[in-house]
Amino acid sequence: MTSARAVDDIVKSEYEHGFSTEIESDTLPPGLNEDVVRAISLRKGEPEFMTEWRLKAYRHWLTMREPEWAMVNYPKIDFQSISYFSAPKRPEDGPQSLDEVDPLLLETYEKLGIPIEEQKALAGIAVDAVFDSVSIATTFRKTLSEAGVIFCSISEAVHEYPDLVKPYLGSVVPHTDNYYACLNAAVFSDGTFVYIPKGVRCPMELSTYFRINARNTGQFERTLIVAEAGSYVSYLEGCTAPQRDENQLHAAVVELIAMDDAEIKYSTVQNWYPGDAQGKGGIYNFVTKRGDCRGARSKISWTQVETGSAITWKYPSCLLRGDDSVGEFYSVAVTKGRQQADTGTKMIHIGKNTSSTIVSKGISAGEGQQTYRGLVRISQRAENARNHTQCDSLLIGDRCSANTVPYIEVKHPSAKMEHEATTSKISEDQLFYCRSRGLTEEDAVSMIVNGFCKEVFNELPMEFAVEAQKLLSISLEGAVG
Amino acid sequence: MSDEAFTGFAGWLAEPSDPPVEGRPDWLEAQCSLARERLAGLDVPNSKTESWRYTSLKGLMEQDFARAGENMTALQSDDLEEVLIPGLDAYRILLVNGRYLPELSAHEDLPSGVRVAGLRDLIANEPDLLRTHLNAVAPPDSQPLFAALNTAGMDDGLVLFVARGVVLERPIELIHLSVGLDEPRVAQPRHLVVLEDGAQATLVERYVSLGDSIYCTNSVLELALGRDALLKHDRIQMESPNAFHITGLYLTQSANSHYQGVNIGLGASWSRTDLNCRFQGEHAECDLQGLYLAGDRQLMDYHLDVLHSLPNCSSRETFKGILYGRGRAVFDGRVFVAPQAQKTDAAMSNRNLLLSEQSEVDTKPQLEISADDVKCSHGTTVGQIEPEMLFYLRSRGIGASLARRMLCLGFADEVVQRLSSDALRDHVSEQVGQRLESAPMD
Repeated sequence: MTSARAVDDIVKSEYEHGFSTEIESDTLPPGLNEDVVRAISLRKGEPEFMTEWRLKAYRHWLTMREPEWAMVNYPKIDFQSISYFSAPKRPEDGPQSLDEVDPLLLETYEKLGIPIEEQKALAGIAVDAVFDSVSIATTFRKTLSEAGVIFCSISEAVHEYPDLVKPYLGSVVPHTDNYYACLNAAVFSDGTFVYIPKGVRCPMELSTYFRINARNTGQFERTLIVAEAGSYVSYLEGCTAPQRDENQLHAAVVELIAMDDAEIKYSTVQNWYPGDAQGKGGIYNFVTKRGDCRGARSKISWTQVETGSAITWKYPSCLLRGDDSVGEFYSVAVTKGRQQADTGTKMIHIGKNTSSTIVSKGISAGEGQQTYRGLVRISQRAENARNHTQCDSLLIGDRCSANTVPYIEVKHPSAKMEHEATTSKISEDQLFYCRSRGLTEEDAVSMIVNGFCKEVFNELPMEFAVEAQKLLSISLEGAVG
Repeated sequence: MSDEAFTGFAGWLAEPSDPPVEGRPDWLEAQCSLARERLAGLDVPNSKTESWRYTSLKGLMEQDFARAGENMTALQSDDLEEVLIPGLDAYRILLVNGRYLPELSAHEDLPSGVRVAGLRDLIANEPDLLRTHLNAVAPPDSQPLFAALNTAGMDDGLVLFVARGVVLERPIELIHLSVGLDEPRVAQPRHLVVLEDGAQATLVERYVSLGDSIYCTNSVLELALGRDALLKHDRIQMESPNAFHITGLYLTQSANSHYQGVNIGLGASWSRTDLNCRFQGEHAECDLQGLYLAGDRQLMDYHLDVLHSLPNCSSRETFKGILYGRGRAVFDGRVFVAPQAQKTDAAMSNRNLLLSEQSEVDTKPQLEISADDVKCSHGTTVGQIEPEMLFYLRSRGIGASLARRMLCLGFADEVVQRLSSDALRDHVSEQVGQRLESAPMD
């Protein structure tokens, strides 16, 4: 069924967000040194503490080496050939309201299906859109501020709420954490800041769309979400990039902090340009995402649907520090063509009675390579910790691969942890069953794959779940013939 | 032969070669020097080395070792009684501190087609017999540090050949006995087992000691199974509580061959076992079972590497561990399925019982799969004794500590039952029971 021809068909399915937008942009020349770091900071008019923070990170970065342990192969990145700042040129001081935003930009977002305009606000999602390196527009500021929620670009937050940003920025992912997180700390250009005050349930779902547009640029955004005691927020993130022949680097950092009884739900649909069938072009997606369950009974839940990027290197993690805190990770990752993904999670159990759930579904087609890499650590103090891990792989075609590399470290006898993994293909029996009921082969496969991923899709907010299903069927279009 | 002590094990690594065995042929000399070259180019693993991330070599490296010499103990057959297993009827090969001791071995009346010999004797007298197989299963240019060290200093061990179609009913028992000496020493036994097409045999491999002295055993086994061959292989490691134990087992399996290995780890303060399996023909089956007990300050480290490079083979990896006191265990299993290895059936499981606050287990069951029509799974659990089970037994008048012991024995039994004879099963159960009895259970 999953013949070579079918596999070729998948490879041919096109990237629908591959358009680029002709916009005049203000871009720093390629290269990285202390002056570039200063220039970024200056251009953003940052306070002194930020400039110093960036420089400290940059100096540390110089002492680090690129990680090589992931099961991905790619030519060495020339960090001097990347431009570290690109912003759409704005007349005068930048837009005061949506009306002033460059219509071409808005058109881009419209193409992407983002509800950035008021008419689309009916969708009820507040959006912060990051185009190349800077935040373009944030909708629904008013409704949110009435609830006391701060939702703005991180550069704005640095100016307006330095006292809120300073203690948290880099407190979950310090600049010393890893090579790409360190680079991000030095050159990050924008991102999103969310602050949910005590006891507030965020009245709507918050969302950021990231788009890489300019050529030869890297995107280094940074997201910081702080949920005070008893608060709740659901945050969505989506990404696309134009089709280009060269590889582009995306090295983001996401930090989540949940205080007592707070809950953060973070959902991602990642659809960066994956490169063409020959593996030319595509985004290198090297992302550090970490949530800190600082308070008792706090909860952080990661849900990701990863269909894009040439190379993905991403491990959304939870530090379960508060007693009774909960960490969750739900993931669907699809690799096709020449895509490579090394992704998974880390659950670090530190507090008492902490529990974590990991559900990872990997689908590999064409010559896709996929690795689940996860760590579950039950530390010495973590009494009654509980973990359940399930990672399933689905292989479509005989040229792809699926690897599972779980690390399990248990230092407390009261821990209960289970790990299960299976690898399978779509069986002839399943297909026959569906086809004998009048479904086309393509529908049958789509149905089976959706069933395979259901556990994860159920965790997504509704609009995203629909989008994710659509994305999945587009990704696997023509998987069978 | 000089008896001077080197500074730490590192001294050994710097100058590992024993004086060559007399009459060593050129081809073997070339292989040994290849291993020496490889050794010179390899770094001592540290915590950044992926396959050693949970196991520190510090204790071993800091331990002083003297060169192993000729057999220095006058061992009496009475001494041997202590280590024999009652009721085990087997041909016996005895190695003392790494050297084959024909006087105390007993393998007369072997059926025709079965050859048992000491490696050292064969190298001196009939080296051509070894040429095809020695270093063929584990080529010296790809051996990891400790295997290369063994090859460079290749000394003595068991050579077992079973000819085509010969079925050896009685097991071969290989006893590796370590006897305390004035100074700690390193023994490097090297074993070679070749089963030709259709041959069948049972090998019982045991590591035991008299007393609780400090020493290091660094053994390498090469096992080659021909078509339709069957090898049952029971390995029972009961080294002295102060010993260091290292095993590198290399197995190749031809079409339709079966390997059933049971690894019992009870002894040594620090032990590391690497099991490597390669399929060379289709429809072969490899079954690796393991049971390890790690008590106070004991470390048990198991690494499995099963390579499915051909279609239609199956492998089972089932390892269970009981940890108490400050016991630590590491399980790192890797099943690799190459793109052409369709219809592979592989299942790996690792289950652990943690009985104390200070015990620790680090487990890493990996699958690397590049073929789509395969059945591969792995499962891991870490937990403690279920209170319900304990309650059930206690409500029937069984004391808490006995109830715990019974449950642990029950947990271990799944693996113990896989041993090849009742005598071995009783022996291992008894040993496990004894260790649990003395273990602090809270």
